[in-house]
Order: sequence, then structure tokens, then C-alpha cells
Amino acid sequence: MSDLIYEIKELIIDALDLEDITPEDIQDEDPLFVDGLGLDSIDALELGIAIKKAYGIKLDGNSEESKKHFYSVKSLHDFVQNVRVTG
Amino acid sequence: MELAFNIAQCVAWAPGLESQQDWELWQSGKKDISNELGLPQLKAIPPMQRRRLSPFAKVTLHCALEASNHFQGDLPCVFSSRHGDLHRTSELIEDVVEGNDLSPTRFGLSVHNAVSGLYSIYTKNHAPISAVSFGDASFLSGLVDAVVKLHAHNLSEILYVYSDLKVPECYAEYVAQDISIGTGILIKAVSKNDHQFSLECLPNDATESQGCQALEFMHFFLGKNMSWESKINQQTWKMKRN
Repeated sequence: MSDLIYEIKELIIDALDLEDITPEDIQDEDPLFVDGLGLDSIDALELGIAIKKAYGIKLDGNSEESKKHFYSVKSLHDFVQNVRVTG
Repeated sequence: MELAFNIAQCVAWAPGLESQQDWELWQSGKKDISNELGLPQLKAIPPMQRRRLSPFAKVTLHCALEASNHFQGDLPCVFSSRHGDLHRTSELIEDVVEGNDLSPTRFGLSVHNAVSGLYSIYTKNHAPISAVSFGDASFLSGLVDAVVKLHAHNLSEILYVYSDLKVPECYAEYVAQDISIGTGILIKAVSKNDHQFSLECLPNDATESQGCQALEFMHFFLGKNMSWESKINQQTWKMKRN
């Protein structure tokens, strides 16, 4: 697991109070919402704020673009890395 | 005018007083309230929903579910609390002061009817539910509200839930009665003349100011005294055992 992947999993667990879940329980490419981890729309907002706080990246909660980034840990990882590289 | 009613179930939760037996020991002077508030497990609530519950929400939901025997479906309710989820509210206020983004979860679950909303979603309850507050008379005024609704709407039953937790430290000096306690009472309509309890408003305000109403009520309910008096502002209310 890359450091950033692990970090994002910890961020998700922390921000969303997923007390009984460890980073190892979250599959990189599984959907975060509805199926998979089973997060809901409030989690999406909460996660948006956590990512803004941690990486200084603003994600618009409603756009189609954001939905793609929020799909899985992997997609969030790629998004964060991409923004970091391109600034 | 007397408002008669029965109590089908009454549960409470306070630091060190969690089971029925704890409360009975407390009533007979053999057990004291402790300093440390334990939290109900709430195993019935799915983990993904349970994770968002604050200590206030957990105590309140526990009392609601236990008093109603985990009833699923329509059951009118009154939820009362003086401070609501003040711990969550003050965290939000601190975030505002520090210029942080507000947590949507905290924000959504800090409103006064948040726990009653969670309860109604979990129990698929579409009956009318109100969330009330009345200063240090919040317990008694909520109880009066529930009993009045029982009579005014000819209900067969209504669930009354009162809860307050010790306030955050920054507010402690402003609050005289600062006790963590939750109570859940399933109130039933009387048939003919078989009522257990009645409430009436006395014409004068002879009763002196009081201690924690919820604790006083539990002491009366579990004991043998025939009546208990307390106040809502200038009104004295008398609860009688039949």
C-alpha cells in the first residue's frame, strides 16, 4: 500500500468515525458510497471538508467531476496526487 | 382539573445508574450517582448509523428504545431537553470562532430535534413527534406536554423522553442543576377508573424551588410517596399516585 493510499484510508476512517474499520478493511478500488463501504451523502460532504483541510484541495460536492474523484480510495488518491503534481 | 394516565414502562440512565436494579438501589439510598457517565451499547442500531451518535444521542436513544420495548412503527412522542446536544453545539461554535469549516454531520445532528429524528428513522415512526425545552423545568413541562397530548388527541399511548448531559465546562458556572440523566416513559391512556397517576396544576405557587426534576420524578416513581410537587416557572404541578 502506498503511503498516500494508506493516509487517505486513515483520513476516511477518522473523518467519518468508522470506529470498527481499519485501513486494511478498505479495498483500494471498491466504491466508497452505497455499495462497498456504504457511505452516504453526509459522508461525502464530511469527506470533502476533511480533504480540503488535509490537502488544501477544494472539491465541489455536487459536480459530476467530484463524483468520479469520490468513487474509491484509488480515485481519490489519483486526484490528490494529480493536483499535487500540477499544482 | 386532573389529567389521569398510566405508566407502562419507565427507564432511566445516569452515571452509575444504568439498570432497573441500580435505580431501585438508588431510590432506597443504597447506591449513589457516580461521576463517570457510562454509555449504552445500543447494539440494536446498525454500526453505520451508530457511529454518528454522540453521548447525548446515545443516552436519549437508549431511553426511547428501552421505554418503548424497541417498538417499530407509529408512536407519538415528546422529546424534551434543556440544553440539547450542547457539547456538539459548542464544538461548532468553536469552529466558527476559529474560522474552520463546519462539520456537516455535527451541524445536522446538533439541532434540537436531531435525536428524535434519528429515532423516528430507525423505528419507521411517522406519528407526530415534538422536541421541547423549558429551562430548568424541561423535564416537568415535557411530561405535562406529553400527558396533555395524550388527552387532547385521545391517544392510546405516547412516549416521553427527557435527557440532558452535564454542560461543557465553559458553561458550568451558569447552570445550577448540572446532572447527566436520561429518562424514557411510556405513558398510556386510562380505561375507566384504573389510573395509576394524575397531574394537576395547583392554584398557588407554594412550592419552593427544586432540585433536578428528572431525579425527583424517579425518586417518586420508584418509591411509595403519594404525591410529588414541582414547578414550571410560577406554576406548581402536583403528580399523584392513585
